[in-house]
Amino acid sequence: MPRLSDLSLTWYAALPNDRALVGALQQSLMIATITAVLATGMSLLAALAYFELRAQRTAWFLTVILPMFVPGVIQGLALSAVFTRSGIKASSLTVIAGHLLWAMPFAFIVILTSFAAVRRSYLTAAADLGATRWRQFVDITLPLIRPGLISAFIFSFLLSLNEFTRAFYLAGRQNTLPVVLFGKMNSGASPVIYAMSGTIFLVSVACVALASMHFMLRLKLSPAGRALR
Amino acid sequence: MTGPRLPVSSVLMTPPLLTILALGLAPLTIVVVWSFWSWDPSTYWIKPDLSLAGYAGILEAGRWTVIVSTLVKAFGTALLCLLIAYPTAYAVHFLAGRRLSIILLALITIPFFTSYLIRSFSWRLVLGRTGVLNTWLQDLGITNAPVDWLLFSNFAVVVGLVASYLPFATFPLLLSMRRVDPTFLAAAQDLGAGFWKSLTSILLPLTMPGIFAGFLFVFVMVVGSSTEVQMLGGAGASIVSVMINDVMRVANYPLAFAISTIVLIVIFGLVLIGNRIFGLASLFEDQSP
Repeated sequence: MPRLSDLSLTWYAALPNDRALVGALQQSLMIATITAVLATGMSLLAALAYFELRAQRTAWFLTVILPMFVPGVIQGLALSAVFTRSGIKASSLTVIAGHLLWAMPFAFIVILTSFAAVRRSYLTAAADLGATRWRQFVDITLPLIRPGLISAFIFSFLLSLNEFTRAFYLAGRQNTLPVVLFGKMNSGASPVIYAMSGTIFLVSVACVALASMHFMLRLKLSPAGRALR
Repeated sequence: MTGPRLPVSSVLMTPPLLTILALGLAPLTIVVVWSFWSWDPSTYWIKPDLSLAGYAGILEAGRWTVIVSTLVKAFGTALLCLLIAYPTAYAVHFLAGRRLSIILLALITIPFFTSYLIRSFSWRLVLGRTGVLNTWLQDLGITNAPVDWLLFSNFAVVVGLVASYLPFATFPLLLSMRRVDPTFLAAAQDLGAGFWKSLTSILLPLTMPGIFAGFLFVFVMVVGSSTEVQMLGGAGASIVSVMINDVMRVANYPLAFAISTIVLIVIFGLVLIGNRIFGLASLFEDQSP
C-alpha cells in the first residue's frame, strides 16, 4: 500500500507530453460538445412535440427512448455496418452519430421532467392575451425549462465523453479517449493513465457539482423552485 | 387556441424522428436482415441469402449458455440494485431536507457520469490480491493470506455491475416516490399504521411503476454491458456483448446479428410488456392539469 507521503503530481505533469492521450482528449471533447448541442436541441423538439401530443404520447415517448435500451455493442456494430455499406468513412462524425442516439433518450427524459414546471394554464392565459405560439415558447416555456436544458446538455456531454463501446466500433483514425485508455489499460498500465482517469473523474465531478449548485441557487432565489419538489 | 394543432407537433417531431429512424431503425433493420445471410468461413465473406446458419451457430460452442447466464446475471444484479436503491431513494425523498437531498442526488449521480472503464479499472485496485480490501482484511487479522476470489471472479463482476448501474434503479424510484401523495402516508399514520404497514400497503404498491422501471433499466444495461466483465471477470468469463465482440473477430456478421436479434427481442419484449402493465411513460409525465 502506498503511503500518503508518496503523493506527487509527477504523472499529472507528464500528461501534456503524452501526445496520444492529449490528441484523444481533444477529439473526445470536440465530439462530446457537438453531441451535447445536437442531443439537447433534438430532445427539446421531441419534448415539445410530446407536450403537444395527446393520444399518441406513449407511442412517441417509447419511440424516443427505445434507442437507450439497445446494447452499445449492437448499436455500434450495426451503425458501422450501415456506414460501411453506404460508403461513409469512419470519422468523428460517425462517432457523433452513435453518441447522439445514445445521449438523446437521457436528454429527453431530463427535459421532460423539467416540463412539470410548465402549467398549461400559463400558456392558455398567454394565448388569451394574444401571444403567438412562438412568444409563448420564448417568454414562458423556455425560462421554465431552462434548468432542464442545462442538465440535459451536461448529461449528454458527459455521456458522450465517457462512452466507450460505440466509439470503439465507429471511430476513424483518431480514437476517442476511452478507446485509447482501454488499449493502454490492457497493455501494462503506465501511471499516466491513472492521472488521465483522475483528471476525467475530477472534471465529471466538477460538472455535477456545478449543476447541483445551480439548482440550489434556484431553490433559494425563486419561488418557482417549489416546482422542483 | 383554435389554431391547427396537429401540424405544430408534426413539425416539432420531424427532426428527432428522422434522426431516430436513420440512426436507430436503419441499423436494427440491418441487424435482423443480415442475421439470415450466410457466411463463408474460408473467405470471411457474407452474402445475401435466407439461411438459419447464424441462429444454428447460437446452439454451437455453448453460446446459448452465455445468453442464459447473461440474463441470470442481469436479473440478479437488477434485484440487488433495487434492494440497495429503495432505501436510498426513501432516505433522499422522505428523510432528507431539501438541501441535503440535492447533495445526495449529486453524489448518487456521480458514478453515472464517470467512465465505466475507469470505474471497472479502479475496482481492480480495490479487490486485487494487493488491493485495498485485501490489505485491510489482513491488517485486521480476518485472513492471513490474500483472498483470491475477490477479483477476476463472478463476485467482482457483480460488484462492478451493481456499482455501475445503481443510479439507473435509484432515479426511477425517486420519480415514483415524488408522485406519491404525502397525505396518504399521513392518513395511514393517523389511523395507527406503523412504518412496515404503511410501507407494504401504501408506498410499495404506489411506487410499483418506479420499481419496475428501475428493474428494467438495470436489467437492460447489464445485458448490454461488457467492460465490467472484460476488466473484472475471471478467465473465460463471458457476457453477450463480449461474445458478439469475439464472433466479430472473424467478421461473422450473421452469427453476431443472430445473437443480437435474440437479445433485442428479449429486451424490447420486456420494455413493451412493462409499459403495458406499469405505464413507463407516466413516470416522467407532468402532473399538472
